[in-house]
Amino acid sequence: MADGPTPASAEAREALKAAMARLADGDRSALEDIYRATRVKLFGICLRILGDRKEAEDALQDVYVNLWQRADRYDPTRASPISWLATFARNRAIDRLRTGKVRGGAVPVEEAAPLPDQAPLADSLLVDAEQTAQIHTCIEGLDENARGHIRAAFFDGKTYAELAETADVPLGTMKSWIRRGLQRLRACLEASE
Amino acid sequence: MSDENDMDRDDIKRDDPMLAAEFSLGLLEGEELLSARGKLASDPDFAWRKQWWDNWFAPWTDEISGAEPSADVWGEIEARVLAASGEEASGLDGANVVELQSKVRRWQWVSALTTAAAVAALALVVLPAGTETIPTPGATEAPQIAAADPLVAQVPIGDTGLRLDVTYMPDSERMLVGAIGLTADGVHDHELWLVPADGSALQSLGVVTPGEVRSVTLPAEITQNMGSGVELVLTREPIGGKPVDQDAGPVVAQGAFTQV
Repeated sequence: MADGPTPASAEAREALKAAMARLADGDRSALEDIYRATRVKLFGICLRILGDRKEAEDALQDVYVNLWQRADRYDPTRASPISWLATFARNRAIDRLRTGKVRGGAVPVEEAAPLPDQAPLADSLLVDAEQTAQIHTCIEGLDENARGHIRAAFFDGKTYAELAETADVPLGTMKSWIRRGLQRLRACLEASE
Repeated sequence: MSDENDMDRDDIKRDDPMLAAEFSLGLLEGEELLSARGKLASDPDFAWRKQWWDNWFAPWTDEISGAEPSADVWGEIEARVLAASGEEASGLDGANVVELQSKVRRWQWVSALTTAAAVAALALVVLPAGTETIPTPGATEAPQIAAADPLVAQVPIGDTGLRLDVTYMPDSERMLVGAIGLTADGVHDHELWLVPADGSALQSLGVVTPGEVRSVTLPAEITQNMGSGVELVLTREPIGGKPVDQDAGPVVAQGAFTQV
């Protein structure tokens, strides 16, 4: 794995990796260290997807409680801790978003108050820099249409049906746009490996 | 690997890597989402590809501004972790014991109710004109594992008026599955699955025995995922349950646990 952009960040990554290993060994104090190091990033993700502080805080709780219960599921050979945790938090927030929909649209995503314009904190952990550059290169290679919808799915947790409704196109058209984009994205990413 | 069974338009094949990308982005919902989660458990190639996409998309999270959660969030997490570990949180005293006793009484009361409902369901079989359905209890709160509170779930079967009654007792790690009123068709079995709240693969709770109430003891890898709001799904399978090398069958019913 490539080093982070700054020495401070490299140090933070090593500390996080060590804390994840302690957690897997059942050391409960490791959970607090992981929380201190990652809460700002993971809460930002939950808030972005859910658009509601209360919902996002509940999702954040679930993330760390689940992490404690299933610490063994993290495989250090497959992903960096922060990359895995960020994915985990996003998935948890999306699960909550879908459950909210089942409950009849209880989550007021669209009416969410604008988020405070808070720059990422200086010590906030970033995901692998090399991978960041590559996904950007590949996504920029897509046509604007596919790129916009794939990003909306990622950042706003939109489903095919929601994207189609927003763009006012048939569901099949939206699926076709996105799948064509994903097919090209995959080819580009695989070529870089 | 390259299924040709879902070509919505014309040109794009929806093979497994494509499905994994859709799953990773969070585009899937409903039955498609459940089936993708089922596939995570049964298909290592699919699980590998899902994580491949996750890893590529993860750097995008760096574009999202960080935000500071409320100061009391950590305390809540700590309390839930302590409860899940079965340790006594500070402040556990006589009042909690009284509360626990009242919960147990409430549970006995709910049990009696669900038994009555099962009898009512049986009556509906005799009168097949009845198409009234029992609403699925919604996931009302985040999954939480408290030490001793029983969990109950009702899983209505389509519009038949029949349902499964599932009770889980954390104390003994035993689960009761009541399928009173259901009859075997001789061609299919029905398999019950736990849908872990953390988005991981579905876990089999076994094949349902029609017309009986069965009690099973669950292993730790399943009990750790038990909690209020956690969903259950019922799939239709060949006799004997889901074959090892195949995807799970169609979802025919679902419900969610509620703590009592």
